[in-house]
Amino acid sequence: MAVYKQTYKDYSGTRTTPWFRFLILSRYSYARLFQSKFLVLFLAACMFYPLGCAVFIYLSHNIPLLTALRLRSGAMPPIDGQFFNVYCVVQGSLAFLLTTLVGPSLVAPDLANGAMSLYLSRPFSRTQYVAGKMMILLLLLSLITWIPGIVLYLIQAGCAGWDWTRGNAWLAGSIVLGLWIWIVVLSLIALALSAWVKWKIAAGALILGVFFAGAGFGAVIKNVTRTHYGAFIDLMQVVHTIWSDLFRSGSRADLSVTEAWVVLGVTCALCLWLLAKRIRAFEVVK
Amino acid sequence: MMKLWYKQIVSVIRLEMKKTFFSKRGLWVYLLAFAPVALYMVNSVHITRQRQNLVQLATEHPVSRSVFNGIKTGLSRDQVVEKLGEPYWQRTLYHDRESEKERSFVLYKYTDGKNDFTYHFKDGKLTQIKHRDPDTLPKSQLIFATSFQFYFLRLAIFFGCVGIFVNLFRGEMLDKSLHFYMLTPMRREVLLAGKYFAGLLATVVIFTSSTALQWWAMLWQFERGVIVDFLAGPGWTQFGAYLSVTALACVGYGSIFLAVGLLFRNPIIPTVAVLLWESANPFLPPLLKKTSMIYYLQSLCPVTASPDKNMPPVINLLISPTGPASTLTAVTCIVLLTLLVLVLASRQARKLEINYSTD
Repeated sequence: MAVYKQTYKDYSGTRTTPWFRFLILSRYSYARLFQSKFLVLFLAACMFYPLGCAVFIYLSHNIPLLTALRLRSGAMPPIDGQFFNVYCVVQGSLAFLLTTLVGPSLVAPDLANGAMSLYLSRPFSRTQYVAGKMMILLLLLSLITWIPGIVLYLIQAGCAGWDWTRGNAWLAGSIVLGLWIWIVVLSLIALALSAWVKWKIAAGALILGVFFAGAGFGAVIKNVTRTHYGAFIDLMQVVHTIWSDLFRSGSRADLSVTEAWVVLGVTCALCLWLLAKRIRAFEVVK
Repeated sequence: MMKLWYKQIVSVIRLEMKKTFFSKRGLWVYLLAFAPVALYMVNSVHITRQRQNLVQLATEHPVSRSVFNGIKTGLSRDQVVEKLGEPYWQRTLYHDRESEKERSFVLYKYTDGKNDFTYHFKDGKLTQIKHRDPDTLPKSQLIFATSFQFYFLRLAIFFGCVGIFVNLFRGEMLDKSLHFYMLTPMRREVLLAGKYFAGLLATVVIFTSSTALQWWAMLWQFERGVIVDFLAGPGWTQFGAYLSVTALACVGYGSIFLAVGLLFRNPIIPTVAVLLWESANPFLPPLLKKTSMIYYLQSLCPVTASPDKNMPPVINLLISPTGPASTLTAVTCIVLLTLLVLVLASRQARKLEINYSTD
């Protein structure tokens, strides 16, 4: 057939349901991400702490073993809100490192190489694009945060019995809610910064900077002005305050729980505004 | 030959100046560097105005310093007013109706012209006393040392060097302009030296000027006599030491991140590794402590920073106390490490191949 006869015509194949179209981006991105051996190794390393916690829970209920080790069952630290709060802090930090590795490469290359118009010229909205990219992080971070957390809760529930489970049902809710908040905030920050700087190396450095330099400068504000306002830019402290409240463990944070929620809300709104401003099918080049 | 190399290095520095100082991509480095200056200035202005305000309030509501010592928790509001008189400021915070009993939370503020006291009353009883004493120079020096060592050295200079030095080679890859340098009759080592000195010049200028301005802004709140006495004593030595530590930090971290930009396609992973290693320094055993840059930089600081008071006791126990390195050892180690990294980087630069992949 002559080339000139290959004219444009409608796509006649089956189309993905509009509600699930955003998953197409995630599917292709996972295929690319899991080619990295480092990422796979890092994900495996992230499972060490939950595994250690699971062993600890099992041991603390294994009376014969404790007797053999000459330990009383009461000598082991209790599996309570504080235990899961520490779990959140450890896995939350690893989730942050994982975001620094994965997040910058999600949006920046598309914007830098002018690929946005190619996505958005298809029956695919900006919201679907952001949802698709965000889904990549949400699923990866879930794998190392709340999913193992719930597994730990279930192991403890299985070992401690129905009374413990009924009395501590709120813990399951706190694990899911606390870690979902964190992974949503991390994902939004990663996507917004990746879209803003358009260079994945700079975006990675910026994500690190927002958390580390934010915490450092927050401490300087506290130190110099002798006020608690520095805590507002320390996102780690903000989320630790929320976790301490959710897990009903004492917090020595400088800001109240309401202030922490407001800071997180403002951060998310700012990230969404940045994304709405950057993710467009056109770009004005000056 | 040396003359030619020198000329080439100067040319590279001249070409790089605009990219390092005025690049849009590097504007955040200025924010990192000069944010503490703004903070110190705002604080100094606030403290000066507050001091004047307290003096004025003390003349309107005179209370002698000794009377404040007799105020203890448990006293009633009337007893406090009887001893101190009417406060210069008062506020009823809120009424908690949760337990069906109306509870009042009242705040009273008093001053003797220098110190500021806030008394918290709950249901008419004094429950908490907050005392804000005036900022003294030794206290401000300690605050400066803490923020310099925990924020400026560890984070601002660190990330500033990441931004500037990684960009020297990686940025050229991104802009697809590195081949212009490669096509010139210039040795790769000379190119690397030129780029390193350009980055060094930028970071040293930005961060030492920030240190100097922070120092000036910190001193600004004090009276002229206090500043003159301080500068006549240890002041200038401390100032010089802070500037030198800043410059040495740029020298050391700069070399590391220049090498990182050359060796790794994604410099974030090594950056995170270096950041974690430097952050973990207080908890490392003495021998490992000496393998990090921050140990030598902190050894050179003139004032020892106070540890974080909010640190949990368990974590506090993990800190391993190690004596500081001597000035000569610290400077030698930083310079030697820099030379070693630069030599390794220049060997890598000889094998450098351009790959304009999507960064």
